[in-house]
Amino acid sequence: MSIEVTGLNKKFGDFVALDDVNVTIPTGQLTALLGPSGGGKSTLLRIIAGLEKSDTGTVTIEGVDATDLPAQKRNVGFVFQHYAVFKHMTVAKNVAFGLEIRKRPKDEIEHRVQELLKLVHLSQFSHRLPSQLSGGQRQRMALARALAVEPSVLLLDEPFGALDAKVRKELRDWLRRLHDDVHVTTVFVTHDQEEALEVADEIVVINEGRVEQVGTPDQLYDEPANDFVMSFLGEVTHFGGVSLRPHDIELETSPKLAGSVEGTVHRLVRIGFEVRLTVLTVDGDEVAVVVTRAHARALQLREGSTVWLTPAAGATVVPRMAAAV
Amino acid sequence: MTSTEIAAVRPARTPRRSGPRSTLTRSSGLGLGIAMIWFSALVLIPLAAVVVTAVDGGWDVFWSTVTNGQTAAAIRLTVLTAVGVTAVNVVMGPLIAWVLVRDRFWGKSVLEVMIDIPFALPTVVAGLVLLSLYGQDSPLGVDVANTRMAVFLAFLFVTLPFVVRMVQPVLEELDRDVEEAAASLGASRFTTFRRIVLPSLAPAIAAGAALSFARGVSEYGSLVLLSGNLPFKTEVTSVRILSSIENDNVPAAAAVATVLLAISLAVIVLLDVIQRRVAARG
Amino acid sequence: MADTLVHAVPDPAPVEEHRRAPRVRRTPTTYVLRFVATAYLFLLVAWPVSLVVVNTFDDGFGSIGSLLADPDMVVALQLSAYVAVWSVVINTLFGVGISLLLVRYEFPGKRLLNALLDIPLSVSPIVVGLALVLVYGGRNGWFGPTLAGWGFQVIFSTPGIIMATTFVALPLMIREIVPVLEEVGIEQEQAAESLGASAAQRFWRITLPSIKWGIVYGVVLTLARSLGEFGAVKVVSGNVLGQTRTATLAVEEKYLNFDPQGAYATAFLLAMVSVACIVVVAIIRPKNHA
Ligand SMILES: Nc1ncnc2c1ncn2[C@@H]1O[C@H](COP(=O)(O)OP(=O)(O)OP(=O)(O)O)[C@@H](O)[C@H]1O
Ligand SMILES: [Mg+2]
Repeated sequence: MSIEVTGLNKKFGDFVALDDVNVTIPTGQLTALLGPSGGGKSTLLRIIAGLEKSDTGTVTIEGVDATDLPAQKRNVGFVFQHYAVFKHMTVAKNVAFGLEIRKRPKDEIEHRVQELLKLVHLSQFSHRLPSQLSGGQRQRMALARALAVEPSVLLLDEPFGALDAKVRKELRDWLRRLHDDVHVTTVFVTHDQEEALEVADEIVVINEGRVEQVGTPDQLYDEPANDFVMSFLGEVTHFGGVSLRPHDIELETSPKLAGSVEGTVHRLVRIGFEVRLTVLTVDGDEVAVVVTRAHARALQLREGSTVWLTPAAGATVVPRMAAAV
Repeated sequence: MTSTEIAAVRPARTPRRSGPRSTLTRSSGLGLGIAMIWFSALVLIPLAAVVVTAVDGGWDVFWSTVTNGQTAAAIRLTVLTAVGVTAVNVVMGPLIAWVLVRDRFWGKSVLEVMIDIPFALPTVVAGLVLLSLYGQDSPLGVDVANTRMAVFLAFLFVTLPFVVRMVQPVLEELDRDVEEAAASLGASRFTTFRRIVLPSLAPAIAAGAALSFARGVSEYGSLVLLSGNLPFKTEVTSVRILSSIENDNVPAAAAVATVLLAISLAVIVLLDVIQRRVAARG
Repeated sequence: MADTLVHAVPDPAPVEEHRRAPRVRRTPTTYVLRFVATAYLFLLVAWPVSLVVVNTFDDGFGSIGSLLADPDMVVALQLSAYVAVWSVVINTLFGVGISLLLVRYEFPGKRLLNALLDIPLSVSPIVVGLALVLVYGGRNGWFGPTLAGWGFQVIFSTPGIIMATTFVALPLMIREIVPVLEEVGIEQEQAAESLGASAAQRFWRITLPSIKWGIVYGVVLTLARSLGEFGAVKVVSGNVLGQTRTATLAVEEKYLNFDPQGAYATAFLLAMVSVACIVVVAIIRPKNHA
């Protein structure tokens, strides 16, 4: 296992930022740290990188106990949310920095820098200053800079946070492809569940300083450990004392299935190919339901229609918590 | 570019940690130690020595020295002139800064350099410079040498940069959109200036005024050749202290120096308060 | 890997150092303000300063020539330069160090120290001189006799002049560097650290280049202030001709001894160095570091 974090605690003053965090991050995979803002993702990442010291606990990287190792000796690549480009150096110099620190021969450095700039599609910008690059280009330069030193792990803190939605999506796909090419153990922080589900091999969900669940995107989506994970990974509605996804509710215009609950369509909104309904049940629940457009047409649904609801067979269901999000 | 984007592109500030917790490492702690020893040896201990010497003489001696007719006249002249000069600077400083930032005309860069000259010029040379236009051989025919006007003029010259240089960067940062928004809401140019611009400049003006007052009160070099140092007339506090030193009356010199130190300290505290208020506003 | 990205990424447009060209709305007020500011600066600075230049060259380069022919004057100029260089070196080392400590670390008493560092800006030079004499004076000072016992004379000698000069110029470097350090932030240093750079390498390769212009400006201001220091030096130097008389002291001396030509020439030399420094930096300093 590439990174092992055990018993990590971190306080800022009285504020508990990390509370007994234990995580194992597999070698060669792309892992996402996912959670709401202020949950402690950056703090965990910075402790792994050695940029922040934990109060208690250990960090092991590639089998080496790195707990007391300074950042400069950990051989991790760190990409900052705001890139932290060296403003006074050209793009090529930025990428060469780590290699120059390691006193590699000049021609080797040059060759490697060219190679990396090609990898991140910045070859034609090598002599520019970072201030002459766009946000996405700076981000890719920062990535090349971190990759140059062949780090044992690559850590990215909200790598696409400061970019607009379109560039963000492109870079996300590109990161996935890059990772498939380079295969370095990569951990990236995000608070965008779509980003995590789409890109990551494995997701660690963090909330209020605690790890809520670790698993593959499918595991997390299909078998959420609790209400928080479930609601964080997608839309959730509450029906008959459980939480479940709106598309996992079966809807009929007559009580065909055993245990179905009667209700009235309160609101009906068509979005593209699907139809979103708000149903007020006789039990007093306000349930969100999603059906396909064809289904809605077949049932001749409109506001005021009487319907019967049943949780679909095999639906992901978790008991409803008191403090559901 | 919207403001949120700018905020996102800006590098994160150094994390501000709460409380007086120390984050010094061993080497930075050592560095701080060495720096503190040097700062103490050069500044803190000598200034403490001034106060201790003044106090050593006893309160009566201190009081009689400070209220001695000639000394009191010098202190009064210094403080009143510094107040007057600061008042002029509070008007002229923002005015000049405004012209430098908002206006565009041929020769503006020369004005820029002129602001820095009083700061760069040796003070004794400053005195000589003013003497050449406002002294005996004045081509203007105004001879203010050895009068109180000379003291005022000298203070005005040496304090010129303070308010201008404090206000200028703030004015540059000031978002002109806000002014245009105010104008679009029907505010006249004067109202816009008074209600929108002036409040943003106020801390910078206050800080510049404090510095210019402090500089005026402590001025010495530019007066040597210009004011004639006439007792009860054009003699300023620093000159008083120097003549006590030259007469080997160190306790008296220390007593008057303590008064000046108290004034500087008040200014420092004022500056600190202004800076905190500005920082709190963000 | 698909190549679409290269084209899809928008062009380098939003650059931080973006600055809008000033829109000038000219009204009568604009012209009045421009006139007032120009007239004020002309009467207070430009005209008097130009008169010194004119007076100096009343008889061609004669006065400057005779100045440089006077061995005592040459010693005075050398002493001024020597003292200024020391003051710049000491204040640069101290200023960079203390600025880093103030911006990058937390420690008890930081706020107090921050305020105390501004003291030399507002203390009368005569008080500075007095304070140093009280502590380092050879006969009655707190430490003076001890130091004299070790054969080290401070007051009435060059070390005292250096100390007085260093004292008055002390805050200038700090005031230039601290805002720059705050603006630059700590992330670049952390990035360098994660790339394997040691503390020394981070300082030389990242921190120093980022605060370069702050230091250059600080050096220029410190140099100008140090060359020009008068009152504090007057008190601590003893003003011994050919030994502890600096160039600024010579200006006064010459003027009072009815040698205005000599005074103007010396003043011109001093002013030229200071003003040249300011002008050169104003020209070479990149605009986005303003
Ligand atoms: N240096 C610090 N001093 C005090 N509190 C801090 C510090 N750094 C982080 N915190 C606090 O610790 C908590 C976790 O912060 P962290 O930056 O790890 O959150 P995050 O999950 O990365 O959030 P985001 O998605 O907004 O970046 C936050 O509440 C934050 O206020
Ligand atoms: Mg974060």
